[in-house]
Amino acid sequence: MTICQFFLQGRCRFGDRCWNEHPGARGAGGGRQQPQQQPSGSNRRGWNTTSQRYSSVIQPSSFSKPTPWGGSRDQEKPSFSSFDSGASASRNRGFGLSENPFASLSSDGQKDEKKLLEGIVKDMEIWESSGQWMFSVYSPIKTKPNISGFTDISPEELRLEYHNFLTSNNLQSYLNSVQQLINQWRNRVNELKNINISTKVALVRHLLYVPCHIQKLNQAAPTFGFGSRQTTTFGSPGFPVNSSSSDNAQNFSFKTNSGFVPAPSGSPSGFRSPPAFGGVSSASSAISTSTPVFGFGKPEITSAASFSFKSPATSTFGSPGFSGFSASSAADPVRAPLAPAFGSVSSVAGFGSPGSHSYSAFSKPSNDTFGNSSIPTSLSVSNSIVATDNVLFTPKDKLTVEEVEQFQSKKFTLGK
Amino acid sequence: MSLFGTTSGFGTGGTSMFGSTTTDNHNPMKDIEVTSSPDDSIGCLSFSPPTLPGNFLIAGSWANDVRCWEVQDNGQTIPKAQQMHTGPVLDVCWSDDGSKVFTASCDKTAKMWDLNSNQAIQIAQHDAPVKTIHWIKAPNYSCVMTGSWDKTLKFWDTRSSNPMMVLQLPERCYCADVIYPMAVVATAERGLIVYQLENQPSEFRRIESPLKHQHRCVAIFKDKQNKPTGFALGSIEGRVAIHYINPPNPAKDNFTFKCHRSNGTNTSAPQDIYAVNGIAFHPVHGTLATVGSDGRFSFWDKDARTKLKTSEQLDQPISACCFNHNGNIFAYASSYDWSKVRIPRPALGAARQQSRALGWESIGLSCDSSPDSHHSFGQSPAHGKCPVSVSGHRLPCPWVQKDGQAGG
Repeated sequence: MTICQFFLQGRCRFGDRCWNEHPGARGAGGGRQQPQQQPSGSNRRGWNTTSQRYSSVIQPSSFSKPTPWGGSRDQEKPSFSSFDSGASASRNRGFGLSENPFASLSSDGQKDEKKLLEGIVKDMEIWESSGQWMFSVYSPIKTKPNISGFTDISPEELRLEYHNFLTSNNLQSYLNSVQQLINQWRNRVNELKNINISTKVALVRHLLYVPCHIQKLNQAAPTFGFGSRQTTTFGSPGFPVNSSSSDNAQNFSFKTNSGFVPAPSGSPSGFRSPPAFGGVSSASSAISTSTPVFGFGKPEITSAASFSFKSPATSTFGSPGFSGFSASSAADPVRAPLAPAFGSVSSVAGFGSPGSHSYSAFSKPSNDTFGNSSIPTSLSVSNSIVATDNVLFTPKDKLTVEEVEQFQSKKFTLGK
Repeated sequence: MSLFGTTSGFGTGGTSMFGSTTTDNHNPMKDIEVTSSPDDSIGCLSFSPPTLPGNFLIAGSWANDVRCWEVQDNGQTIPKAQQMHTGPVLDVCWSDDGSKVFTASCDKTAKMWDLNSNQAIQIAQHDAPVKTIHWIKAPNYSCVMTGSWDKTLKFWDTRSSNPMMVLQLPERCYCADVIYPMAVVATAERGLIVYQLENQPSEFRRIESPLKHQHRCVAIFKDKQNKPTGFALGSIEGRVAIHYINPPNPAKDNFTFKCHRSNGTNTSAPQDIYAVNGIAFHPVHGTLATVGSDGRFSFWDKDARTKLKTSEQLDQPISACCFNHNGNIFAYASSYDWSKVRIPRPALGAARQQSRALGWESIGLSCDSSPDSHHSFGQSPAHGKCPVSVSGHRLPCPWVQKDGQAGG
């Protein structure tokens, strides 16, 4: 079951009647084992219905011939299973601990987590030593979402940028940008190779506790800061863009409804949901990564202060059948790649013109209207399963890292 | 028909690679080099469909041009015609009757080239470079499908300037393939979508990517009844995933295999991992060919899950590949695919000179006539008897005359 975050704050008004788990209050009695309840359509969105055990999924980087990954994965939406075990992990532990479910995991959860992390470390080592293409997203296991901090740029895109720079005779800035991308990549890889506590926490949360498709929604298209353009999108106050506490500013940032050109591009967008008492519907965009915005101007830096409660998105998570993409046939609200442009305005990048779907990694969003409520709020709604559920509160897993931290801390420090 | 334009640079601006033919790995397979190959990297290759007598090869390059050669049975290639775009050409395809060629370019347009009249007109427009283009021939409609980095998939009736349909993609389109009634599109951020094309194109399923890294190329394969049943997906990490759409046992039927790595199966030493730049299925045998940034091409049997053959290493990455309609000829393009990110030396200067400095772009055609490689098949004639393989060479090169097979 989901953990009731109101309870964690000490203010759950349903008390015993509450549908969510109150860890420590009643978890002791053997915890509620995951019954095969709610075969479908529960308002838990199928989290409890998974029959796939998490452990069967992990096959860290061992691509042996018949990879046992598959299972019957083709149709199934497996991502919830990970949540499930995560929840059970924290649930089992409930007794006697105060409201900090992330403090320790059950042994099961721990084992999985360990394997996952080992897999990641190994993959990072291979990635670095093998000379393979750097600008690629990465996911440790096929069912998991992409790990944040990596951008997906195809060689052709990079080459096109080169060609464009060539015509504008600005080769040096191209070289600089590429160098920055490389450095960014290297930093991220090193971070993942030498996993310290905070990276680990962030990774675990990202991979295990957040439903897969939400993650995918939040993967930003590569954002680069090239040239001297300020990445105003990230810099302005009140933007709910934070990097997760654990990662280095460069590599994580929480994307929110960026008020970008509400162009109907189908890119998965990340929405942040205000915490429950914001009283709005959910969609939490979990750790959305906007891919590394490089250093110009303000790299996304964290600070609780910059977090804002936006009016939010009804994010539709799409139907489980979609592997992580929301049925974004409707207008994409948000994410146009937040990339600040290359110094010289490339004619190719779809800047600013509203209808343009800035495709390229290097394009800059047209306006910095973050914080506007012109933010388109809905992904295609048709498959929304979520919207009505979380009117009152957002389940814990939907919160971003900072939000979670806030809820767990003694005092609410956001906005201070 | 105009022959190819300026092939300036022949004999000039070359690097010191010429002259040392002994150690040169320009054409280690002794395949035939196509004459008058493009001046810059070749992004895509396509052979004419069976409806056209003879074999015609189209190649799109980063020099903004699309060239057409006739490939004769003796292996000789005759340049036939060329068209230009205003940006590098990323994908080409033929119409089913062989009279038109569709080209997709970074100038955000796609053109239809009528070979008979040698005229090209624009038939599509996107907001970003058009990465893939395919011709769809359905019983009740026919259209061109273009996938672009603007995250849309558009379907065009060539007579109208408005698309017949626009489908949104979750991310930039990186590669696609069409075999009616199935289409597969692989996007950035490891997205993978299958479409069904009957009646009208609609999304069939979104699939969790079987690969961990960026998708690079995709090709659909057919079952014994000649119906599309799955696809092969290649990534930048030297791995190809074979994925069936509705397998009886997904866990066992779908698998991935490693390829284009430097150490083969020796996993103790760190390997160099190269991107898989292209995948093509043999139209008759169903074996697949993969080409990679390591400069090799390999043939595989996905049913027996074995590797059939790997070529020698070329000195440049192989950026594209294609089988002809009956599988007798295999064309591959050897040119820099930007996999090293580095700018070719000399660093500054015009694009043309730089690409030359890297080496030379060439297209090789080979016929895999060695019967032993198909032993596992148990099928009779091996790939074919084509005696020659040609690779285009921009600079005068001894190979072209040398292999006795070339040109008979």
